[in-house]
Amino acid sequence: MIFKNYFLIILPIFFILISSFDSNSVEPGEIIKNKSLELRARKISKNIRCMVCQNQSIDESNAELAKDLRILIRKKILENNSDKEIYKFLTDRFGDFILLKPAFKLNTLMLWLFPFLFLGLGLFFLIYQNKKSKK
Amino acid sequence: MQKKILLIPLIAFLLISLIFFYLLIIERNPNNIPSAILNKNVPIFLAETLIRKEKFNSSAEFGAELVLVNFFATWCKPCADEHSNITRFKEEKNIKIVGINYKDKPEKTIKWLKKLGNPYSVIAIDKKGSISIDWGVYGLPETFVVSSQGVIMFRHVGPVTDEIYKKISLIIDSEKKNDF
Repeated sequence: MIFKNYFLIILPIFFILISSFDSNSVEPGEIIKNKSLELRARKISKNIRCMVCQNQSIDESNAELAKDLRILIRKKILENNSDKEIYKFLTDRFGDFILLKPAFKLNTLMLWLFPFLFLGLGLFFLIYQNKKSKK
Repeated sequence: MQKKILLIPLIAFLLISLIFFYLLIIERNPNNIPSAILNKNVPIFLAETLIRKEKFNSSAEFGAELVLVNFFATWCKPCADEHSNITRFKEEKNIKIVGINYKDKPEKTIKWLKKLGNPYSVIAIDKKGSISIDWGVYGLPETFVVSSQGVIMFRHVGPVTDEIYKKISLIIDSEKKNDF
């Protein structure tokens, strides 16, 4: 029985630990020697969706297209393109869908604001109920 | 009054459930990703042609007539499946078809075309996949309709099935009428 309880605690911790490992598919040949530039490339890659696997970033994906895009991003960085220019290059071709973090735009307004709206509503009812029960 | 206010979360919840339910039952394919390059000019690119080994200049190939662009590879099974329908475009619609051969071995492609037939007016080699990135291609095969003004009018990701053939044929017919 005690063993079972321990197991129930350890198992989720184990899964949280393995899921938090930084798994990436960047191959040694792709890496830029300059560390800060490489970090920039990694940061952008983590926000670019792999269009083939769709729920992975190109940083994590082994797909051919993901690899091509990782190389392309590094090439653009070495050509002195800004992050903004690189994002624009990619969204011009693949659309906003390629961004894992959706842009804050008119058509994504609901997506961004709804959680806050519901949080506000929830808080309002919580306080309202509280006050009522105190009476 | 107080009780009425308490109904608001319930109504909000029901509304959201209704929206979800609606999205669930309407016919939509979540794999259909809105295309960013529709209604834009064709990307400008240079390449080598497959058979004659000549220079392929996109500016010279597009903008004069209606063109069908087909991204394909010999290693892609659905490309072989749709090939008969691509050939139908040539035979039944008499439209110029530009093939873009994605990351393939030229000699293998030539063999493949000899076996299945060559409906393409010209084939550009996309050795490193850079042309495909410029077109926003992410899954072979992909087919585009480019207007006589050089604007991308239609895009289809995946093989051209009989149903898609009909759809593209309608676009070609209406566009040809407009051009006259």
